[in-house]
Amino acid sequence: MNNRILALAAVFALAACGATEQPQNAAGPVKLTVWIMDGSVTKDLLKSFETEYEAAHQGIDLDLQIQAWDGIGERVTAALASTDAPDVIEVGNTQVAQYSASGGVTDLTAKIAELKGEDWLPGLAQPGNVDGHQYGIPWYAANRVVVYNKDLWAKAGVKEPPKTRDEWLEITAKLDRGGDQGIYLTGQTWYALAGFIWDEGGDLAVQEGGRWKGALDTPQALAGMDFYRRLQALGKGPKDADEANPPQHEVFAQGKVAQIIAVPGVAARVLEVEPKLAGKMGFFPIPGKTADKPGTVFTGGSDLIVPAASQRQEEAYELVKALAGEKFQTELAKAMSFVPNRTSLAGVLAGDEGTAAMAAGAANGRATPNTPNWAAVEATSVIKQYMTAVLTGADPATEAKKVSDTITTTLNSGS
Amino acid sequence: MRERTTSLWPYLLIAPAVAGGAFLLLYPLLKATVISFQHFRMGELIRGGATLAGLDNYAELLAGEEFWRVLGRTAVWTAINVVLIVTLSTGVALMLVRLRRGLRLALMSALALAWATPIIAATTVFQWLFQSELGVVNWLLVTLGFDSFRGYTWFADGTATFAVLVILVVWQSVPFAALTLYAGLTTIPSELYESARIDGGSGPQIFMKVTLPMLRQLFALVASLEVIWVAKCFPQIWVLSQGGPDGATTTLPVYAFKVARVLHRYDLGSAVAMLTVVLLAVALVSNLRRMVRQ
Amino acid sequence: MRRLLLNMAALAVLATTVFPVYWMFLTAFKPTRDIQSATPTFWPEHPTLEHFVTAVEAPGFWVYWRNSLVVTAAAVVIALVVALLAAFAVARMRWRGRSAFVVAVFAAQMAPWEALLVPVFIIARDSELLDSLAMLSGVYFMITLPFTIVTLRGFLAAIPAELEEAAQVDGCSRLVAFRRVIFPLLAPGLMATSLFGFITAWNEFAFVNVLIIKDQDKRTLPVWLSSFRDVFGTDWGATMAAASLFALPALLLFLFLQRRVGTGMTAGAVKG
Repeated sequence: MNNRILALAAVFALAACGATEQPQNAAGPVKLTVWIMDGSVTKDLLKSFETEYEAAHQGIDLDLQIQAWDGIGERVTAALASTDAPDVIEVGNTQVAQYSASGGVTDLTAKIAELKGEDWLPGLAQPGNVDGHQYGIPWYAANRVVVYNKDLWAKAGVKEPPKTRDEWLEITAKLDRGGDQGIYLTGQTWYALAGFIWDEGGDLAVQEGGRWKGALDTPQALAGMDFYRRLQALGKGPKDADEANPPQHEVFAQGKVAQIIAVPGVAARVLEVEPKLAGKMGFFPIPGKTADKPGTVFTGGSDLIVPAASQRQEEAYELVKALAGEKFQTELAKAMSFVPNRTSLAGVLAGDEGTAAMAAGAANGRATPNTPNWAAVEATSVIKQYMTAVLTGADPATEAKKVSDTITTTLNSGS
Repeated sequence: MRERTTSLWPYLLIAPAVAGGAFLLLYPLLKATVISFQHFRMGELIRGGATLAGLDNYAELLAGEEFWRVLGRTAVWTAINVVLIVTLSTGVALMLVRLRRGLRLALMSALALAWATPIIAATTVFQWLFQSELGVVNWLLVTLGFDSFRGYTWFADGTATFAVLVILVVWQSVPFAALTLYAGLTTIPSELYESARIDGGSGPQIFMKVTLPMLRQLFALVASLEVIWVAKCFPQIWVLSQGGPDGATTTLPVYAFKVARVLHRYDLGSAVAMLTVVLLAVALVSNLRRMVRQ
Repeated sequence: MRRLLLNMAALAVLATTVFPVYWMFLTAFKPTRDIQSATPTFWPEHPTLEHFVTAVEAPGFWVYWRNSLVVTAAAVVIALVVALLAAFAVARMRWRGRSAFVVAVFAAQMAPWEALLVPVFIIARDSELLDSLAMLSGVYFMITLPFTIVTLRGFLAAIPAELEEAAQVDGCSRLVAFRRVIFPLLAPGLMATSLFGFITAWNEFAFVNVLIIKDQDKRTLPVWLSSFRDVFGTDWGATMAAASLFALPALLLFLFLQRRVGTGMTAGAVKG
């Protein structure tokens, strides 16, 4: 999807709200402010949702604001601590636990049944649940697959997607020739690393008797990192950046990259940059160690929260119900190639090559360590820095020990 | 200066400044001090109800390795920058005095141009200059024969990132210091130089015997302002490296910001800030004393 | 020979000083193809405005531009007025507590603003001043105030008190004397100082993130620039165009004030 257009939509929404910025009297429309992350929903979908919702709910004026990722943690914290917060906020599933634990989020446990929470995706529902109370309402999920350029595959004579990691390395090496890159994998794509580590039987951090411990220095984790290093070397992905810098779909769109690791929805963004790639993109699940099952992947996604400081609790809940409901979930899944928030809705994805690959991988989906402090580990980018260090030649064991100690400290620092 | 008056006027004149400072600086500062003695994290920020923690935060800070590492790094960071800034700007100022009018005006304009470039714009430009694949710095180094800089990733290495930040801060700070020192140099009567020259002094001798003593106060002022500015320098580091890679560019203000805003340890962050202020005040105590005497 | 060396050195300093700024504008005007070429060109061979179009059309540019201007101008003007009063008291009058005040002003420059984000947020929240440009201006005013007082005091001290006394002898009141005699002499100083305040306030971004929450269209240009880099990260042309547009007001103001700033800075600094 196009960020520019998306953001333009936000401006229109803003211009509209600027005009209605009078004190609300009893008869006037109730304004609901919603924060949606950049890249979550297309502009068209957002707009049609707004129109329909406002038509169906007399007296509600939706203000859908697109939020940039930069500095979002600070803004959400400030919003939760304010006296007049936005009414609904989308938060990443690795972040939701810390907000839920803070006491600034409305407890929606009583609404689980009404929201049909019995078959929510666990990767979204669990982090939103603290001590048996449900604060975060699952919104959507996505996991990464390998997206490949069919032309470059044909040129290199590769026909079948790999079934195992070894085959994958072999094929990628074959693709990495001349001006073409076998794979464009940036040095800091830590979700991919997490998957490789899980495949080896390791983890990012483990809980031992109530204490968390960073686990990147285990032999399993080091093996995962070693595979990452070998794969990363088969292309020119920058070792000191993540996939957003530069946006990897732009790099892929230039047609010199045979494969990237991304959510299937990236295909739409690639086509916006380079329409000629229509029909030239293929997808396969990230290969596992053996051919009998695909690699483990990180389940990414978002939850919706209602800040306790929202002055429109009931209206906000109604809106969450609509956003998490079957109708919008179906539309969202189709438009964005996301996995809907309930397993029973997964059928809407049938018939799409990209989402089929994603669904195959999703069976092996996992989440980051379930502790409110995990968000701090992400925010300090220590894993990314560890990866860059190893890829640029530092001793893996030493670096892994260092980063594991840092993670241990961060996870046990209380909140 | 006139005789001491007992009129109310001076107090009325400073009243707005004092009022502003009390509400917007002293009050938040007191709050931060209080927070540094509390258990104050995300929950307390949102729900309120912070409890006293005594000296726990300070104890945690001083007992941890990281604080001392950051402190040492801040000292090195400040020393390198301030020495470079003062040396280079002295050189530039001396150069300005000797230049012919046209070139002098051109150089002064250039300095002021660099000085007026907003920090965030300049930082963005430096990211571009030192970009690994298309950056002009790598191109220049390779062209000059340093082939190892082909595609060199400056921001992956701690020391390299540190160096880029030093270049950036020096580039931004030299103009102010150089123009100020130049202004000071122009106030030294030329007779002093002439008599020194007649006495057979060489260039460096004249600088040590005439220029330096005349401008001692000015040098002290410039140096202490730069110490404050460099030690507290935050946006450049945050925007360029966020204190990374691997903490190699985490100085005290960056550390305080990270601890508070990223880890949501507002209590610990406040403690870091309080210690920073105390350390700066101690470092500059002689200067403060001089100001009191004045 | 010495002159030649000196001039060469001066030119080298000139080049290093100007180059980053030049490179920023140059990249902004280059077509993407030229930006991405392996051998950089140092002259705009095919100048284009496309990157500026991208930047200006990016969401929020005009709104944020206006906010930044309003907040910065308010902060600078208030700081100048308040600082002038205080500087006058310090430079021209003797009173009990004067030296304590001077030390306090100097010490205020050490304020750890990054650590005051949370207290300032709490104060703004409890005074219902969140989402308010006034609060933002207030904070920027306070950030620039100490330096403004220090510099203006220097400028004032540089103006002989006798001038003012003479005017008073001629029958002017102190206020009139100030306006007729001191103020014109002080103008360069005021401008130099305002430029500093302008740059500081124009740059600030940390407080925007905590003080402006619900009302997105009250954000300012630095926030726009950083989110712009998020979205247009690889597009160095557009990013440099955005940075140029961000730098432009400060540079224009500087060009406009340049003459006065040059002399002003001198007088103020010497007496520091």
